Amino acid sequence: MTSSLGRLLILLSLLVSTTGAVLGYAAGWKKSADGLKWARRFAFTFSLLMIGATLVMEYALISHDFSVGYVAQVGSRDVPLWVTLVSLWSSLEGSILFWGFILAAYIAGATWLTRNEHIEYMPYAIGTWLFSGSFFSFLIAGPASPFQTVANPPMDGPGPNPLLQNHVLMAIHPPFLYLGYVGMTIPFGFATAALLRGRLGQSFLRPLRNSLLLPWIFLTIAIMLGGWWAYEVLGWGGYWAWDPVENASLLPWLTATAALHSALVMERRGSLKGWTVTLVQASFLLTILGTFMTRSGVFNSVHSFTQSSIGPTILVFLAVILIGSVTLLALRIDSLESDSRFEGPLSREGFFLINNLLFVLFTFTVLIGTVFPLVVEALKGKQMSVGRPYFDSMVVPIGAVLLFILGVGPALPWGRASKEQAKRALLPPLIGATIVAGIGLALGVRNPWTIITLAFGGYAAQVTLGQMWLPVVQRIRRGDSAGHAIIDSQLVRGRRRFGSYLIHAGAVIVIVAIAVSSTMRTQQEVRLNRGESATVGGYTFTFTGTDVKQEPHRTSTLAHFDVTKNGRQVAQLAPRMNQYAAMRDPLGTPDVHTTLKGDIYLSIMNIEGDAVGVNVILTPMVGWIWWAVLLMGAGGIVALIPGSRAVALQARSESPVIQGDEVGAN
Amino acid sequence: MNRVVLIAGILITVALVLVLSAGLGKDPQHIESPLIGKQAPDFALQAVGTHETIDLAKFRGKPLVVNFWATWCRPCYEEHPVLVSNAQMMQGQVQFLGVVFQDKEEKIQGFLNERGSAYPTLVDDAGKTAIAYGVGGVPETFFLNKDGKVVAKFEGPIDPDSLQQNIRKAMTQ
Repeated sequence: MTSSLGRLLILLSLLVSTTGAVLGYAAGWKKSADGLKWARRFAFTFSLLMIGATLVMEYALISHDFSVGYVAQVGSRDVPLWVTLVSLWSSLEGSILFWGFILAAYIAGATWLTRNEHIEYMPYAIGTWLFSGSFFSFLIAGPASPFQTVANPPMDGPGPNPLLQNHVLMAIHPPFLYLGYVGMTIPFGFATAALLRGRLGQSFLRPLRNSLLLPWIFLTIAIMLGGWWAYEVLGWGGYWAWDPVENASLLPWLTATAALHSALVMERRGSLKGWTVTLVQASFLLTILGTFMTRSGVFNSVHSFTQSSIGPTILVFLAVILIGSVTLLALRIDSLESDSRFEGPLSREGFFLINNLLFVLFTFTVLIGTVFPLVVEALKGKQMSVGRPYFDSMVVPIGAVLLFILGVGPALPWGRASKEQAKRALLPPLIGATIVAGIGLALGVRNPWTIITLAFGGYAAQVTLGQMWLPVVQRIRRGDSAGHAIIDSQLVRGRRRFGSYLIHAGAVIVIVAIAVSSTMRTQQEVRLNRGESATVGGYTFTFTGTDVKQEPHRTSTLAHFDVTKNGRQVAQLAPRMNQYAAMRDPLGTPDVHTTLKGDIYLSIMNIEGDAVGVNVILTPMVGWIWWAVLLMGAGGIVALIPGSRAVALQARSESPVIQGDEVGAN
Repeated sequence: MNRVVLIAGILITVALVLVLSAGLGKDPQHIESPLIGKQAPDFALQAVGTHETIDLAKFRGKPLVVNFWATWCRPCYEEHPVLVSNAQMMQGQVQFLGVVFQDKEEKIQGFLNERGSAYPTLVDDAGKTAIAYGVGGVPETFFLNKDGKVVAKFEGPIDPDSLQQNIRKAMTQ
């Protein structure tokens, strides 16, 4: 009964989205206002149906209705309610349904927000969104149906993959990732509409940029949450392994970040339109590539869903949108470009360009490293894997140069800078660079790349903070009260600007923290009997004993440690080993003590009687990564909050440093 | 029409789709064994229960099924009856050998008492034999022909069809 209802809703959503897509394109072609009205109705109907189908699945999960195929596959009466709720995305079929759900929410939101605007583009945009909607409806209706009827329903099920039950971050990371991934459909729709129309007007930049910024925020946080989860759960003390699926989440983030920057040049100078549109298309295509990577069974990864038959279907979809996008770009890219003079490398837009090229280089580096094993296997029949050495040796220099650009770019004015201007802008931040690198050296940093990163980080930090507070300083000089100046210039008028610099500040911290945490780590494996101690990196770890905790779905053995330094207690840690009913090997959960300075991380290797083998990892600054990414997310939100257009325009003309050049720009 | 965009786009599309489709249908966790077609590494290990040392060379002249397993491995429970029934069925034609990896003798004995056995089970105490065979995880099953050459490797719990198919290979190659 429940299965049939779910299937019916999905079949209807397939019908509605396909019809709506055709209608949208036709309305765009004919420039029909009535057609647009209908396309909108179809978009809302699709959203209702898809959200309805997801609610039906959640109901089936909560009520343990094992006659529904997906529930029989991942449900269990023994797991806590939150695990049951998040089981929706714990396995292949449910995760595609969840994709459909998020897509439906995005389409409804975007259709609603643009109800009175951009009439010339909207039919094409809605058509494109619904085209994507129809593909996912098709997947859910056929190849990856979660609503199969089980003829003889079991009394109970196995529950979701134990790795996913091991930490509450698993309830948060996937929704953020999907909000990031799926959200790229919206700017893709806008970009496709601009290409189909053959123009990209100034007023259409705002929805394009904002619709890109929103999923970018989610994706940024999702990537961090994934790393954090790996760190808190997997027990090897790292947060990034260049695993194909980690790379899959990074790829669209890189192109979207590039697009957000080139969109700014587009807005200021009217140039780079075709390029920005290309990056937006690429971001969406890379999310579909990522979906293929996780679900085709082609890549070996901790994230992979079980082998499934939907790989070819996704590949066909990917090929179709790739061909469509390439053809459209080739046909229309020239009509988007307006002529604008390139002001030479020593200008802000010059550095935007370098930033973009670096992000694209970064994207290709990661993409090639990810698919290279497939190429070798296809050509030579040999198996190989591309590991950390390749990625590190390629990405570390790119990252360092990006950090350098992040410092220099915003210091330069728009338009050509005179030598004098350049000197005035670029020399003072060398103080910041020296201070930060000096602090690093004093604290024992010796790795040359880390020192370079610290110097660039110090440089960028000084520029970022200077730029961030410049409007406030200027206003206080003009006689404003400090409070008013801060609120008005940062949160009212200059919100976008302030938000962007918050993101930059976060990014500087993230890059520095990655450099420090990955090169300054101490790791030691120790074996202790009860009552024994070991000293690692100045900390003394005393194993005080074990105890066993029973839960319905797992049995955990906790090993208790007292951590002291110079005789004073620092922390009590209890890493654990969990034995799940559904899994043959026990699964460890490390315990982490986080401080501003660094983390103390204990992960059990084995417990035998009164002895425990434990991996002790001390990583400086690792917590800064999570917090700084949250700062980036907050900056994104600040920049996203809509302001009235008048305020936005005022804020732009008020931008400091660039006032002289601004006249030419607008 | 911008030719550069078109050509670059088509090149990327074709390359990406070709590479990705080449990967379809393969199991990325599968590792090719470099031993195939080569003489199987020799071993002499103690049998569970009898403590008799059994030498691989002793079985030359008969196709051999060497199954690596452990009592802590759940899929090994699944395949055990398949191996036992086939070993009984093919007694005299094919020799089966179990090699237990990283385990304790009393646990193995308990397992065999409870679930039955039809062929010698050897203890690979230090895991040397498993390393020599490049075992990536248990269970894993190697098929040797009568000359002691490795003809096939199977990863994961074996099903009756794959077992028979690989035995046929070992008998004919």
